[in-house]
Amino acid sequence: MIPLQISPFQYVANGVVFSSIIVLAAIGLSLVYSIADFANFAHGDLMTVGAFSALFSVGFFRPMLGDAGVFGLPLWFFLALAFGMGAAAVISVVTNRVVYRPVKDSGSIGLLISSIGVALVYRALVFLSFGTEPERYGVPRQGPVPWVRETLGIAVTPRNLVVVALTVVLVTALHLTLTRTTLGRKMRATADNADLARVSGIRTSEVIFAMWLIGGALAAAGGVFLGLEELVRPRMGFDILLIVFAAVILGGIGSVYGAMLGGLVIGMVHELVPLFDQLGVPLVSTPYAEAVAFVIMVVILLVRPSGIAGDSG
Amino acid sequence: MSAVTSWVRETLVRDATERRIFAALGLITVLLVVGVLTGVVGLRFLLFQIALVGMYALLSLGLNVQWGYAGLINFSVAAFWGIGAYCAALLTAPNSPLGLGLHPVFGFLAAIVVSAFVAVLIGIPTLRLREDYLAIASLGLAEVIRAIILNERQWTAGSSGISGIPNLMSWLPLTDSATTAAIVVFLIAVVYLFLRRVHRSPWGRVLRTIRSDENLAKALGKNTYRFKMQAFVLGSVIMAVAGAFYAHLNLYIDPSDLVPLTTFYIWIAVILGGTGSNRGAVVGAAVVIAIREGTRFLNDIGFIQTLGVDLAPLRLLFVGGLIILIMRFRQDGLLPPKDELIWPAARDGSGAGGASPSGAASDGGASSNGGDDR
Amino acid sequence: MNDDAYEGARLDKDDVVLKTTGLEKAFGGLVATDDVSIEVERGTITGMIGPNGAGKSTLFNLISGFYENDAGRVTVNGEDVTDLEPHERARKGLVRTFQTPRRLEGMSVREAMLVGPGPQKGESIFSLFFSGSDVTEEERANIEQTRELLERFEIGHLIDQPSTDLSGGQMKLVELARAFTTNPDILLLDEPVAGVNPTLANDIKRFIRELNEEGQTFLIIEHDMPFIMDLADPIIVLDQGKVLMEGSPDEVRSDDRVIEAYLGGAGP
Repeated sequence: MIPLQISPFQYVANGVVFSSIIVLAAIGLSLVYSIADFANFAHGDLMTVGAFSALFSVGFFRPMLGDAGVFGLPLWFFLALAFGMGAAAVISVVTNRVVYRPVKDSGSIGLLISSIGVALVYRALVFLSFGTEPERYGVPRQGPVPWVRETLGIAVTPRNLVVVALTVVLVTALHLTLTRTTLGRKMRATADNADLARVSGIRTSEVIFAMWLIGGALAAAGGVFLGLEELVRPRMGFDILLIVFAAVILGGIGSVYGAMLGGLVIGMVHELVPLFDQLGVPLVSTPYAEAVAFVIMVVILLVRPSGIAGDSG
Repeated sequence: MSAVTSWVRETLVRDATERRIFAALGLITVLLVVGVLTGVVGLRFLLFQIALVGMYALLSLGLNVQWGYAGLINFSVAAFWGIGAYCAALLTAPNSPLGLGLHPVFGFLAAIVVSAFVAVLIGIPTLRLREDYLAIASLGLAEVIRAIILNERQWTAGSSGISGIPNLMSWLPLTDSATTAAIVVFLIAVVYLFLRRVHRSPWGRVLRTIRSDENLAKALGKNTYRFKMQAFVLGSVIMAVAGAFYAHLNLYIDPSDLVPLTTFYIWIAVILGGTGSNRGAVVGAAVVIAIREGTRFLNDIGFIQTLGVDLAPLRLLFVGGLIILIMRFRQDGLLPPKDELIWPAARDGSGAGGASPSGAASDGGASSNGGDDR
Repeated sequence: MNDDAYEGARLDKDDVVLKTTGLEKAFGGLVATDDVSIEVERGTITGMIGPNGAGKSTLFNLISGFYENDAGRVTVNGEDVTDLEPHERARKGLVRTFQTPRRLEGMSVREAMLVGPGPQKGESIFSLFFSGSDVTEEERANIEQTRELLERFEIGHLIDQPSTDLSGGQMKLVELARAFTTNPDILLLDEPVAGVNPTLANDIKRFIRELNEEGQTFLIIEHDMPFIMDLADPIIVLDQGKVLMEGSPDEVRSDDRVIEAYLGGAGP
């Protein structure tokens, strides 16, 4: 038995962080599925747009606020995050108006193909504006939080904690919106049965507007966190698109809560791959982490295509 | 001679739009010939471009079978192409990791077998389900194939690529570039004729029904899964053949072309050309090459640099924008399919209608598709 | 209405072409089909009516295999088809049409009709290359049958039109004709005259009757009361996912329970 250098719990911790990112992206994708009824292939690149918008805003927030920080992260970072979320929300809504709405009648396949075009445009604009080199937000490197290391034996940095905490906040906010507000009720009604909702007097254009706004903002948050944890690269969103789709399919298309669950599971599995690698499990090695997500998705499609929370038949 | 003119009239110039398109193509051909004769355009360069267009045309024909005939959304065109290219390269290049140096025929055979196998593997979980599952799964497959080729260096040489791939049929008394161009034209002719036969038939008809409304096809007793699988495998095999051909054209391959952008070039070719139309696929391929080479030309002469941008993202922007515009303004494409899918031999002499189902068989009639005012 | 009012269908018929036993289907918590057992006698035009939400379309989907049943069995010509896919059931003689006409993009009426008969030799790629003359022969026969059938239904002039150009009613006629070319043992028609103008609806009624006189069995869902009362006998009444009763048009018309089901019945 080879002694493990890294505690398995470390991988679990990594998994929780990564899952946060996937969950945020999966929620947006799932909302589009349930309300606009198509597979939005531009969602990954929307995350990229959000991440880069945030990066852009660092340029003026940082000089303005200096190094004042909270929870171990500089204040300007949080403002950049908010900026990124706002920018992506706006871009998302505008894209819907300009691209998706005019072709609504061509069905979900026409919309799917259009979204591919949108994805390429998003990515191209990012390349053209920021170049191809990966960037960082410039949040100073931090060591692991000492008391966590001592008590649980795992290394988590303040940024890890902030990512997870903010994700919980955002997800809770979404949950409350969906269950406690009128808008949320309208969104759920439209997701269940759009025709019925319209006939009952719900203005679906309002719901759709809200959906793109929320989906865009959450995608951007996921993108910023991904950029924080790794690098801010133009291909970052597209590279995890497959994983996000896998999460949504696992959770069941049409179920936002399913998407959250799916995101958690897929995120954990993705980060546990190096553990299997270390344990010597054949064929499961780090460069193939995406492939593992892919295989999981294929297995779901074979066994229970409706996912965990979706309905069958 | 009248047989030729009637073929031309029936196949190429059925209405005003088609006439314009083929006239434009004719003009470009004339310009190219003049260019070669006057030395402005190098003959070898031109032949290489023709061969490249041919390869793209084959890829488009393959995707057309999947998307155009059957409505299957396949985002792993580049992967199947890559499978074909790597089968050919690995088996025929003397210095490939396999080092077998076999005759190209084996490369093509391997390309066909492996691509068919992979297509079935991907089809099994996805073809019984909704179309977007295939879209997602095929995107995933593309990335997995690329990852395998990049990482398993001992089998594929990874990012170094494989060089020294032999030319095809170099024993012919023509130059290599002329031979290769002729071979691809031959391949296209074979594939095109094959597809025409299977398309204008009960088989093609069932596929078109499945594309429009799968439940209806099921209610009429058709095993839609089997038909879709056939279309998917057929298309994938054609794509792999295109890839194998490319290996012998470029004489060098590496994983850098296995990116999604390649796949979306072919998508543009098919939807711009006219979803479901074989002629459209070929014309669309020509247009896509024109875009690629056009932008490369502009880059070489420094025009793009003056705009302060790079070539690759500009192409990406162009392709993305084009997809959006086509879906918005001309979903039918340039040459939408017009054939009635009826077995030709049965149609003749039974008084059944002609090619166009629009009721107005005469030219210039208010065609409901492909017309000017849309 | 309490459960005792539900009498169920007549289950003692001779020469039963379609039979369901205890079919059940629930969506989440909502029970759409509740222990439905019916029989359709060969050679009849059997009607199925019921207020909105009674579960008629669900039942059709269960019978034809488009929905998976939670319990129960479906039998065609004495053979259990419950585990078969929709296309397999169609091959066994159970063919259905759909409520909204399915327009086939880019296909002429002739082409749309030619999809019906099956299995066709030309549907195998292999045959297209190695049995060309057989394919030609079969296609010619099918083209001729198509022409005759459309002439008979008085829409022969539409044969070259794109199927997307037809009116809803004309499309329904085409669908009836096409379903008939499959040579079915029983034809399930899902609201064959919904949204169709009265003249055309009468034509459809006439043609259904003609086909029936030649031996075709029908099971028809319809909301149009005069239409179904004039055409079908017996008529099965569904309500709240259960079979309320079955009887002749007169019996159904005058049954208090049926009247109550419609008046007090489930809303949209």
